[in-house]
Formats: sequence, C-alpha cells, structure tokens
Amino acid sequence: MRRAPLPPAAKKRVAACASRQVRETPSFPRVTTSAFPTVADPAAPPAPVDVRALAGALAGIVGPSHVLTRDASLLVYRSDGLPGLARDPALAVFPGSRDELVAVMRALAAVGAPFVARGAGTGLSGGALADGVTLLGLHRLKRILAIDAEARTATVEPGVVNASLTKAVAPFGLHYAPDPSSQTACTIGGNIAENAGGPHCLKYGVTLNHVLRATIVLPDGTVIPLDRGDDGGYDLLGAFVGSEGCFGVVADVTVRLTPDPERVITLLADFTSVRAAADATSRIIAAGILPAALELMDQATIEAVESSIYAAGYPRDAAAVLLIEVDGAAAGLEEDAAAVETECRGAGARGVRVARDATERARLWQGRKKAFGAMGRVSPHLAVQDAVVPRTQLADVLEEIQVIGARHGLRVCNVFHAGDGNLHPNIPYDAGDPEQSRHVHQAMREIMARCIAAGGTITGEHGVGLDKLPYMDALLTAETLDAMCTLRDVFDPERRSNPGKVVPVRACKEWHGAASVRGGQA
Amino acid sequence: MSDQPRNVRELAGLVRDAATRSAATRDAGLRIEGAGTWMDSGHPVRAGVTLSVGAMRGIVAYTPADLTITVDAATTLAELDAATREHGQWCPLLPWGDDRGTVGATVATATAGPFAESLGRPRDLVLGVEAVDGMGRVLGAGGRVVKNVAGFDLTRAITGSWGTLAVIARLHLRLRSRPAVDESWAMVMDDARDTPGGVSRNDPGAALREFSRGPHAPLAMLDLAREDAAALALPAGTRALVRIGGNGAFVAASRAALQSTAGATAVAVEPATWDRVRTRLAPGDRALTWRWDALSRRLRERFDPARVLNPGLLGEEG
Repeated sequence: MRRAPLPPAAKKRVAACASRQVRETPSFPRVTTSAFPTVADPAAPPAPVDVRALAGALAGIVGPSHVLTRDASLLVYRSDGLPGLARDPALAVFPGSRDELVAVMRALAAVGAPFVARGAGTGLSGGALADGVTLLGLHRLKRILAIDAEARTATVEPGVVNASLTKAVAPFGLHYAPDPSSQTACTIGGNIAENAGGPHCLKYGVTLNHVLRATIVLPDGTVIPLDRGDDGGYDLLGAFVGSEGCFGVVADVTVRLTPDPERVITLLADFTSVRAAADATSRIIAAGILPAALELMDQATIEAVESSIYAAGYPRDAAAVLLIEVDGAAAGLEEDAAAVETECRGAGARGVRVARDATERARLWQGRKKAFGAMGRVSPHLAVQDAVVPRTQLADVLEEIQVIGARHGLRVCNVFHAGDGNLHPNIPYDAGDPEQSRHVHQAMREIMARCIAAGGTITGEHGVGLDKLPYMDALLTAETLDAMCTLRDVFDPERRSNPGKVVPVRACKEWHGAASVRGGQA
Repeated sequence: MSDQPRNVRELAGLVRDAATRSAATRDAGLRIEGAGTWMDSGHPVRAGVTLSVGAMRGIVAYTPADLTITVDAATTLAELDAATREHGQWCPLLPWGDDRGTVGATVATATAGPFAESLGRPRDLVLGVEAVDGMGRVLGAGGRVVKNVAGFDLTRAITGSWGTLAVIARLHLRLRSRPAVDESWAMVMDDARDTPGGVSRNDPGAALREFSRGPHAPLAMLDLAREDAAALALPAGTRALVRIGGNGAFVAASRAALQSTAGATAVAVEPATWDRVRTRLAPGDRALTWRWDALSRRLRERFDPARVLNPGLLGEEG
C-alpha cells in the first residue's frame, strides 16, 4: 500500500511553508515514515553536470514551460509522501509525450546526468527524491492507450492515476485490482516502481501479479519491450517491477483487468485483546478462507479514528477490531462470511457486525483508509513503519512491539494488513523533543530487528527508497546485496537512474573473482 | 564426471571451482540436475561435469497456518504434495509432467500446468529463493512472508532462467488451502456438431468458455481432442474437462451451471484424472527459442560471466 499521509490541504501547506529556512522545523504536523536520519550516499559523486546547459537542451525538447530550474518553483518536488525527508532537485523536466520522454532520456544520457523518475509523489520511502539531480516528472504522460474488455487488459502511460484506470474500465464490469490507499492520486508508473499493494492484494495479488507487458526506456535512452518471458526468455519484467525507479522508466504498460465481484460482504469483528484479533486472523487464513481484505486496527487507532471526522462507528472500548471483506460469486459467499464469523468468535470476538448496505460498508472502510490522517490530529508528528512477519507470529510480535514502545515511553498505534502479516506500527511523537525523538528512533530499530528475527522483512509495500537503507544490511547478506547491485547494473550500468536508493552503495563491489575467471583481464 | 553437493556451501564451492577452471578448459561447464528427469530444451549442453543437487532434498520448514513452506530444491512434487495434503493444503504448481520431477526444476523452468490461470504460475507461487550464481555467490532473496519489497527482485530473475543465472538450492513457496469441495467433470458433447455438414444449434464450447470467464470460474477447464478421451479413460465423446472447487454452495451452483450446458452432458470423474492429463498432455520436448536481446545477454553475462551454468542450454552459443 502506498498512501498519501497528509490530506490535500496539509500538503498545500507543506508546499507553502517549505523553504530553506523552515525545512527542518516545520510548524505544521508532519508525518514521517521513520525517525531515522538518512544515511549519506557514499557513492562517488557523479560527474559534474552543467545544469544551465542541460536545462536548455531539455527545454528544446519539451518547451521552456515544462522545465523548472528556479528554487521556488522546485519546492513542491523536494519531498514525496514522506515529508520528513527533503532533497532539492537541480531541475525538473516534464515530458508530454513518449517521444519527448525518449528524447529527454537521451539528452540526460548524453551528458551522463543522473535523474529520478517521479509520478504523483505519494511514495512513503523517500524514493522519489532527487538530491541535486534531475527530477523527471511523468504526470503529463496520462493517456489510456487501449482497453481490451474481451481480453481484460488495458495499456496505459505511466502517469495514469490508478483510480482513473478503474473508473475508465468500470463500464465493462472490470477494475484494476491493486488498490493502494493513495489510489486517487498515485500513478500506475509509480505503482510499478514500488510493486504497490493495497488492502485487496490479500486475495488479488500485488502489482507484480497484474503486469503483463511494458515498454521501458533504459537509462541510456534505449527503448525496449519487456515481458514475463512466457514464450522463452528471462522474466525481465518481473525483475523490473518493484525496482523503485533504479532500472529505467516505463513508457507504457499493459495490465490485467479483473472482473468486478458479483457480491461483497464486509464484516467488523470486535475483540477485547489484540492477541485475540491476531489469533482470529490466523484462524481465518488457516481455515482455508481467502478474504478479499483482512485489516486490523488497535485501540489507539480506533480512538484516533472515532475522535476524527472519519468516525466509522468502531466500538471505542474494543482493544482491536478486524475489518474483513469477502467477495466473489454470490453462491457460497454467505457461507464464507459465516465461517469468518465462526473463527472470530472462536478466537474470542465480543461481537461481529455485518455491513447492511453499501453506505455502511463505505463508512467502515473510510475509517480504515483515513486512519493515518486521523492520527495526525493526535500528535505533532507520526512515525509510520512497514514490516512483514509470518502470520502465525502476529500475536507475539504485536505484543513485543507494545513492550518495546512502553520501554521507551511511547504509544504504538497499529493499523495494518493482518491477512498478509504486513504490519504498520505507527508512533505519534513530538520531533521537537530530542529525547523523545531518540526513543522513537531506537524503538523503531528494535521493532525492525524483532520482525527480522521472526522470519519477516523490513518492507512489504512501501519500498526501501532512502528510508529503509539502514536496515538492508541486517536483512540481507553481503553477497545478496552485491547480487542486487549486479541486477541493477544489467539495466543501469552507470547507476544514473534514481542513484543512491534501495541498496546501500557500499554493498556494491566488483566481484574480483570474475576478473580471474575471464582470464585475468581487469 | 559428477558432483553431488550436500548443502548450499558445498554447492557454492563447486560452482566457484568450475568458474575458476573455465579459464583453462572448455569442459568446466556444469550440467545442473535435480531428480535426473532432465527436460530437453532442444539445445546441447556443453558441460564436462554433471552437478546434481539431488541430495539437497526435503521439507526444511513448514508452519501450516502460515500457508508457506520452505523446501530444498530436489524435493519432488510428490513429496511436496504429500506433506501439504496432510494439512488440507497444496502448492498448486501442478506442472505439466508427473510428480517425480523436482520443485527446483519446476521453478527453474517456470513450468506451469492446467491450473496456472486460476491458482498461479510458478513465478506467482515462489516467495523466495536461495541460490548460487555463476560466480559462486550465495544469494538469499525473498522469504517466508507473502509480501516483500526489500531490494531488487532476484527471485523473479532466477525463476524461469533454466539454471543459467543461478543454481536453485532452496525455495520458499506460497501454499493454498485445498478447496473444501473439489469436483471434476467430463463434458461429453452431443454428436450433431461433429457430424460433417451437421451444425448443432448449440455451441457447448462457447457456453463453457463463457462459464469459465464468469463468477464461477473453475480451477481448470481444458479442451480435449477427440483421441484424448480414450487415452485418458474418459467417457467417449468427452471434449472438455472441468475442475470446480470451493465451498459447498459455490460448487453446487457451478455444478448446476455445467449440468445445464446445452448440447453437452456433464459426467463426474475422479480428480485423479488430472494427474493423467498432466502427464499425457504435457507438451512434448521442443527446441526452446530463447529471446536473446541485449538485456538478456547482459543478464546472463553478469550472473555467469564464465558461462559455467548449463552452457548452451538456451541456444545462446548457436
């Protein structure tokens, strides 16, 4: 799930307030996905690029009004969905057609200029920040090129907004299944870069499972088709999806469309302990039911939601609730819903409520989807995390997360995709309090370590970007990180595409054995 | 000559040795083998040594409630099926061919089967991989969780690469619950439409295709040639085989739809029929036409610069 953590009004304030003077001490509530400082990019600095000359060359391609070089006009691009991190691009360029995109990429390649592709900027890992390099905005490439209702596919440009695609194919009884909570703003190109998920990817799969073919522009300006290798070939497209903008830029992509379900049933189960809610999650999955979505919210989250304008009617005295949705053919769906209720009650649910109509369903979902926004009211800052554990570890890990929080004098709010084991432990805090910030920093580190120890991972859907770089060494071996650099080098040997992201650069070493293997040529 | 490593460290050592030897000899190449039921790609492999991962076999970790399993590469599909069946689960790789083949080979060749549309292809079911690349690096990507975007996706690159980027040592796989009710139906078509010149008013084939695209999408639907029915011991005139699975009410509705297909009669058959189908109707060996574009060549070159992993298998030397 990729989520815009601030409501649009707050985002405008970010843009309005942001300046060099206030950049690190904003006066408005801000949301960060981590309390961690960003590690400095240890890579050798790129060859100096003559920004003025480059801007001139790019303006010759896209027109002067689609190139930004002045500090003031670039301010809005200095952060993404993670306003806690800010980086200033040297310039920004916005191609308006595929031909312009290719020409821009070639112009960048010609002078060896690094660049960062960006869609709507809703990412939550700092992945779309350009630190003194060119920001390549793709939002003008927003044409839906083809819809094939019979084959259930659509071909789109990278800047098409996720929800716009679903809206365009709705008349055919189809939708685009990956539904990150930022779907009204985020773009398909960005979804591919992050391998975005969403609440309904429990049943329907993540972006990777819905991408069939793409045309990409490699960092050197070469335009190539990519597919999944079904007709005899490497799964280059599979490797490309989730590469966080480090492998190249999507020019167009063909995605799978999913038929709308015949019927949907939404349930809200109410528990007196988080452990019971986590157990119910495990029981539902183990019972062989595959809900479309299975989300958990704990007491702190319920309280924040119910105190906000997004009040969804969650029981305020519950320790946790599960929001569960089953969908599919009408036949058999009530039996699935009944089985979900049985498992919830078996795990100790105090009550299970079924949404009576679409209005109640929408209200229950709104509380979930706006939970992060609701938390913004509770404290000046919010650290949002993203980690995954095996589903049977949920109850234990959640309990230990509370213990870790208590030890640091912090309150942890949990709202997450329980069915996938995908945690989002959020910590409201005051960044103006250095002592508390230090505790948040340390608590997050301990929580990540606990998730890794449980056999889990450090990000399920937000991506590594800049934010998760400090954890990569703890999760993956040096050889694995080195191999990831190798994979990147296949697509981007000059490492100009989104430099310094995803894999700590120090992990990329030349494999000395290879030289001797090739007969001693260095 | 044959090598049989017992674990990933030994495997890495053997690959590294081969890569080093390759500077001096053209016979350093390794023919990677699992159960030995080698799938022919139609291209000769130039390898002086057979590297069998056959000893790396067995269930490593299995927590049924997580619906994930970790197995060593040479675990057979039959072993995987038996271990998971006990808990009402399966790993629906169910590729064309029989269950003596290994999980590693299925993933290495990305061999799907008749259930791929509904239950997923190998690439959809593989959550993570431990493998040794052509330089002897041990790579561990992905893991026992169902969502994971930490780093670049080595798992997808290795899946379906026919062992030419890395030798698979261990796999983390997604499992699914077996459907509570699981029925298979042979669809016996009326004779009229097959009579030369005679045109049936009904088109049961079209009706079945419509059925399979609707809310009652089956686990599998397979069109059969006339001669297949006898070979598979199915009722005469069977022209399609359908498998439906789900809870009782869902399957009842699906069954009713099949039974009301105009121009065809639904006859119940054993789900085991599909094992015969997978073996008998497996596409025969044919020369694999690999797409060797610049990116693919670079991928091969960077992960196996000494060309020791299954050299020639994908026709790249041709």
